[in-house]
Amino acid sequence: MSTLQPFKKTLTLILAGGQGERLYPLTKDRSKPAVPFGGVYRIIDFTLSNCINSGLKRIFVFTQYKSYSLDKHLQRGWNVFNYEAGEFLYRIPPQHRVGVKWYEGTADAVYHNIYLLEKNKPDYVLVLSGDHVYKMDYGELLAFHLGHDAPLTLGAAVVPRDGAHHFGIVHVDERWRVVDFVEKPSDPPTIPGDPDHCLVNMGVYLFDTPDLVRVVCQDTRNTASHHDFGKDVIPGLVAEGKVHAFPFRDRDGRPAYWRDIGTLDSYYQASMDLVARQPQLDLYDRDWPFRAWQPPLPPAKSVHGFTADRSLPGMVTNSIIGGGTIVSGARVERSILGRGVRVNSYCRVTESIIMDDVNVGRYAELHRVIVDKNVVIPEGMIIGRDPDKDRKLFRVTDDGIVAVPKGMQLE
Amino acid sequence: MKKVLIVDDEPHLRLLYETELRRAGYETMTAANAEQGLEYVETMHPDLVILDIRMAGMDGVEALQRILDRDNTIPVILNTAYSSYRENFMTWAADAYITKSSDVSELVQTTRELLSSRPVRA
Repeated sequence: MSTLQPFKKTLTLILAGGQGERLYPLTKDRSKPAVPFGGVYRIIDFTLSNCINSGLKRIFVFTQYKSYSLDKHLQRGWNVFNYEAGEFLYRIPPQHRVGVKWYEGTADAVYHNIYLLEKNKPDYVLVLSGDHVYKMDYGELLAFHLGHDAPLTLGAAVVPRDGAHHFGIVHVDERWRVVDFVEKPSDPPTIPGDPDHCLVNMGVYLFDTPDLVRVVCQDTRNTASHHDFGKDVIPGLVAEGKVHAFPFRDRDGRPAYWRDIGTLDSYYQASMDLVARQPQLDLYDRDWPFRAWQPPLPPAKSVHGFTADRSLPGMVTNSIIGGGTIVSGARVERSILGRGVRVNSYCRVTESIIMDDVNVGRYAELHRVIVDKNVVIPEGMIIGRDPDKDRKLFRVTDDGIVAVPKGMQLE
Repeated sequence: MKKVLIVDDEPHLRLLYETELRRAGYETMTAANAEQGLEYVETMHPDLVILDIRMAGMDGVEALQRILDRDNTIPVILNTAYSSYRENFMTWAADAYITKSSDVSELVQTTRELLSSRPVRA
């Protein structure tokens, strides 16, 4: 854990207002950070766990769209702060302090809440997104920031040059000063001294407070701006030569795992990353626990299912299973099951994500399907084998993943 | 002629600023408190606002946010006897911060600079 003294003077702002339209229908009733992930977590748990594990315990979460689910989760799962000792986590919806509008962008959300910075007067402000999955010690970022004389240090994921043309690339000089942002380049600039890798902006920003205030105040006066950090504010600072990039690597110096959960396909892929034999993101690292709201549920189990003439083993392989889930006489492979799920006899669930309190009826077959909470899959229903048929009822992604919305009634 | 709105609860200062700004070639209007100032911003469309901070009722810090919410292009000069407000992050969206003085040349000069790049309103 980080023990850096300057952390006491650092305030953390988590931007959690994302509508997440490209994650629909998972965002039908909730904002992106509140989308369940990895069986027992919500996406925001990763960022919040990173904060706690890094020793950052003064946190504001800016919420906006469909915030009920996120509010409930933060209240139940993150009631771990000692307010008497100066720790806090407060949820900040638009309060119409500076006007009667909603947050128009990430930078606007900070401008709306300048009074929080005035009240707390931190030396540094860490601005984070609530919809990324990664494991990062922000202490290393702060140490880097203190060692480089610039008002802003951004976290940069290290990605192979070959796949870099999908991303916005951060072009740095040999002292890690950002000289340019290049959006989806055909010939991406590589890290000096490492021709095989490029840097991607993670949306992790560590500011000297006065500079953050200055840039969001300037931004609010700019009528051409979208009031967004990534689009407007950061490129402006880069043009002034005031930004450094911190390369995000693991303890062994290798590129560290980081995923922006933007689309259903990226959500699915990041979920499947977890059921790999040795996932890049280790949920079982006792030194870096990821917290989640843990209701009092019995352990998961698999049991034989009995029919009149035979008994069938409940088989679960290469999967993650939440508490209270029972796999009875069914086969589950390379899947993520949430809490309180029932998978009944003769079912086959493969490479799928099944969220809490879903009941999969007998003889049903699910392949590459995301089933949101509280759905009853009728007996014998097959989803994920015939895209044309599936499309009549469900959203099917470019990669062929089928999404069943929360609480959907199926016959 | 460009219009300057002076929001200040001290009558003699309003008079002083009006006199000097008119001499400098501007049309002026005055408000004795922030609430009235906000009303004038909406109805009279000034080209620039000179805003006192410490006033009875709404203070200039809050008035600044509200003015910019209505029109984020209008230049605002915060004008106060207290330099300590300069440290207050909530004043940083203003275009200028001028400490009150019997010599108003800095105020007039800053007004001129801020208005020089602003087109005349229809």
